[in-house]
Amino acid sequence: MDRVIELEIPARPEFVGIARMAVGALAGIRPGLAYERIDDLRIVVSEACTAALEALGDEGKLRLRCIDGPKTLEVRIEAPGVAFESAFPSDEPGPAVDSFRISLIRALVDDAELRSSPGRTELCLVLHREAASENDENLPA
Amino acid sequence: MDLGLDVKERNGWAVLSVQGEVDVYTAPQFREQLIELVDQGQRSILVDLEGVEFLDSTGLGVLVGGLKRVRSHDGDLALVCTQRRILKVLEITGLTKVFTIHDSVDAAVGGNGQG
Repeated sequence: MDRVIELEIPARPEFVGIARMAVGALAGIRPGLAYERIDDLRIVVSEACTAALEALGDEGKLRLRCIDGPKTLEVRIEAPGVAFESAFPSDEPGPAVDSFRISLIRALVDDAELRSSPGRTELCLVLHREAASENDENLPA
Repeated sequence: MDLGLDVKERNGWAVLSVQGEVDVYTAPQFREQLIELVDQGQRSILVDLEGVEFLDSTGLGVLVGGLKRVRSHDGDLALVCTQRRILKVLEITGLTKVFTIHDSVDAAVGGNGQG
């Protein structure tokens, strides 16, 4: 059974820590993700939120939608009304923060997909859980 | 979320100990501290990351910026780091080849680097 948790935070630097703390806590509820992988997810969430925040310029909100399933944990990050795909250049220009960001996102989650349309960008991050326990479905929702 | 920054002098090195989480919120304090050290004339800077609980690309940008700044004055900036989670971030981004990384402050100020 998938559990969906949504979080909306002001697009300000002081709230990025709250986003990664919330996602990290959610990732640890269901078995199948080692602590190190949850740590990886926290980094990627921080990268995505920071990229969105830079595009927003301290105004607006960031929306996180976490879909917690038995086999995967998916986190979708969107800055409503704003495109931030430019924060993820396809060609890495060198040792700059943007290229660090791309390298970390590519390395630390199983799948990362950037979905963009005019005025809208959503970064979808996926971690695959290891073999889930048979009793997993009995966990409190 | 607080960032702890503490500077001590050891054998000619300015040792900047960083504690807490380095991200888009706290990175400006970290950047300002490094700039201040260089502006004060420090040319050998050691950043101790052993107390860092979280570091993302914003923090990496501060470290690279500090390295460039001190190198432009013929100085150097090295790191102390044994934490797997932080080393992993440095490895993924290729920065283990850019920074000299020491196991401890004592090893660094004594000149026993590994990178």
